[in-house]
Amino acid sequence: MIFLKRQLPLAITFVMGVTFAFQYYIPHPVSEEAITNVSKWMQIISGFALALGLASIFHVHAVKIKRQVPGWGYSIVLYAAMLATIIVGFKSGGETKVDGAQTAFGWLYDYSMVPLQGTMFSILAFFIASAAYRAFRARSPEASVLLVSAVLVMMGRVPLGQFLLPWTWDVTQWLLNVVNSAVRRAILIGVSMGQVALSMKIILGIERAYLGGGKDQ
Amino acid sequence: MKEFARRMIGIDRRIIFLLIAGAVLLPLLRPFGLPIKVSPEVRAVYEYIEALPERSVFLLSFDFDPSSKPELEPQAVALLRHAFRKNFRVIGMTHWLTGTGLADDIFSRVAAEMGRERGKDYVFLGWSPGAGSLIIAMGQDLYKAFPSDYQKTPTQGMPVLAGVRSLRDVNYMISLAAGSSGIEMWYVFGKDKYRFEMAGGSTGVIAPGLYPFLRSGQINGLIGGLQGAAEYETLIKRKGTATAGMDAQSATHFVIIILVLLCNAFYFVLRGEKGKAR
Amino acid sequence: MILGAWVAAGLTLFIYSFLYKDNPLFKLGEHLYVGISVGYSVVLAWHTVFLRLLWEPLKKDITENPAVFGSYVLLIPAVLGLLMWARFIPKIAWLSRLAFAFVVGFGSGVAIPRTVSSYILKQIEDTVNPLVTRGADGLSMGFNLASPQSGVNTIVLVIGVVSVLFYFFFSVEHTGPGKVTARTGIYFLMIAFGAAFGYTVMSRMSLLIGRFSDLIKYAGAEYGYASLVLLALTVLALAAWEMASRGRREV
Repeated sequence: MIFLKRQLPLAITFVMGVTFAFQYYIPHPVSEEAITNVSKWMQIISGFALALGLASIFHVHAVKIKRQVPGWGYSIVLYAAMLATIIVGFKSGGETKVDGAQTAFGWLYDYSMVPLQGTMFSILAFFIASAAYRAFRARSPEASVLLVSAVLVMMGRVPLGQFLLPWTWDVTQWLLNVVNSAVRRAILIGVSMGQVALSMKIILGIERAYLGGGKDQ
Repeated sequence: MKEFARRMIGIDRRIIFLLIAGAVLLPLLRPFGLPIKVSPEVRAVYEYIEALPERSVFLLSFDFDPSSKPELEPQAVALLRHAFRKNFRVIGMTHWLTGTGLADDIFSRVAAEMGRERGKDYVFLGWSPGAGSLIIAMGQDLYKAFPSDYQKTPTQGMPVLAGVRSLRDVNYMISLAAGSSGIEMWYVFGKDKYRFEMAGGSTGVIAPGLYPFLRSGQINGLIGGLQGAAEYETLIKRKGTATAGMDAQSATHFVIIILVLLCNAFYFVLRGEKGKAR
Repeated sequence: MILGAWVAAGLTLFIYSFLYKDNPLFKLGEHLYVGISVGYSVVLAWHTVFLRLLWEPLKKDITENPAVFGSYVLLIPAVLGLLMWARFIPKIAWLSRLAFAFVVGFGSGVAIPRTVSSYILKQIEDTVNPLVTRGADGLSMGFNLASPQSGVNTIVLVIGVVSVLFYFFFSVEHTGPGKVTARTGIYFLMIAFGAAFGYTVMSRMSLLIGRFSDLIKYAGAEYGYASLVLLALTVLALAAWEMASRGRREV
């Protein structure tokens, strides 16, 4: 039983990891057939995995309603909205448009979900302005460099800045293509090496957090 | 002076919110229409598309959701108008579940405007889970990855997909991305092995991080944010929502620059006062 | 469509009411957003994964070729997916590990060669560009700052990449020449972060411009002046709520 619970998952990870790491270098038809089929299976399994994430949202708000914590009324609103969307969605066959005509599901998407999601993220614009005013100070040489770079890029990337001070456009292009590229490249190389190391640790069974914890690890 | 600086630094943030709201609203109601300068990275995408022959296979991946609609929808519209004008066979899809309805809406709207027929000139494959695995599946066999399109029509035998077996048969691919499930993923799991040419369209937030790929030629062009969309609209000589929004963009940037400069001016006044007090 | 405009404008203004203060209108909008998003995800996931990817191809293969093993092969990911759901039942939760092992093993294996090739090798390849090129007139070096591939920019790029990589290498103490390199790295980083800030501002403002454009559209006569009426109602509602809260606090 211990083997099934602890060793077998690690063995599966090892076999899958090594097989598909080497598959990249093997152009044989059997290897290509294997990756074609398994990548298709991953699509399906990822779909099942989505349910896990959705279930946690169900659970969190169910607990709120059960314990009647302050604000639990909003959790009821959430459940009602979710159920209404699901019912409307299934009645529309999962389609937002049928023969060019908008379904009820499509209406809900266009006039509720799109404005809500768009507005939630656009509100950050106000906070970024307020934060810039309060905190963006040239306290040190490094902060001053940050400030100057930010101001130059903000100017150089809009028509008004390009119109008033044309050289800001050229400076911005240089900053982005050379200096920014260098920094991002270094960060990319460093982070990728870390990712490769982590992947190897997972395949070799050194890193086991993905198994979900528990005393059997 | 010092008292004024102290009061200004502690000003209620709702006043700043009103300033920003005004900076957006006024230019939208009364635009001033400044010329838009085109950057080399956007021009590269335009020129590559211009050079492709008719009926080339063009894959456009709408890797964003409604939260990035204002930046990426104008890019999508401009690219689709260009692709349909060049009479390409356009394949659309998305990696972002909540962006599916939006992608289908943009696609069908522009296709109808350009008089294109679903199944013959374009197909919207819809969403599928899997991220990197999905790209690998498409690279191996497109019909296994997407047995039917978003409208539930079987993809096998569609005229628009004639001769397209997998990603290797795509002539040009652009990912319009709002996050990591986008351009980088398409390169790593797609172009690296299946060797199609690709470019990226992105939100302003992730654009600076994509410049190393642009430099190394891993992507041959980059359309960054609303500014990039406005530049592309200028190139295809068809102004849209991006160009209309650029005046407001200019105004807000200048408000922020002035706020930052003012904040630093007040800070230095107060710092000077502290220094003297010592 | 007019009803849609009123709903869209109303929900937009509910969310923006947060700029005044966290209030019931915002909370309502926020919870509606999460509920509708989850509902939409459930519907689409069901139709895409279970119907389009699993049920229809399986049904087609089994009815056409019931004796062939290959027709049943899609049952394997279906079983693995179900094993993943075993996580919800504490007694058999350990079964989900098998499914996770399969997925994570595949993901890690597939990522290694592709990451190395795309993010490491290709990036290093572009960093070590030649400084001088052989032309008809012999060797020459480009000094054009405007051209990203020129010699002088390649030097700046190499200095940038090396100094930033060195800055993040904490296993070696940053003293002496190491200190100079690390400080150079910091300045490069500051410039890049400044550029990132500038772009983030641009991005967020664009989102705001998009929402305001919609609100302006819905303020038109053809939509019954939706935005204007709803703005007035939202302000009144907020004022009423503020007065009621103040009254409660005083009591």
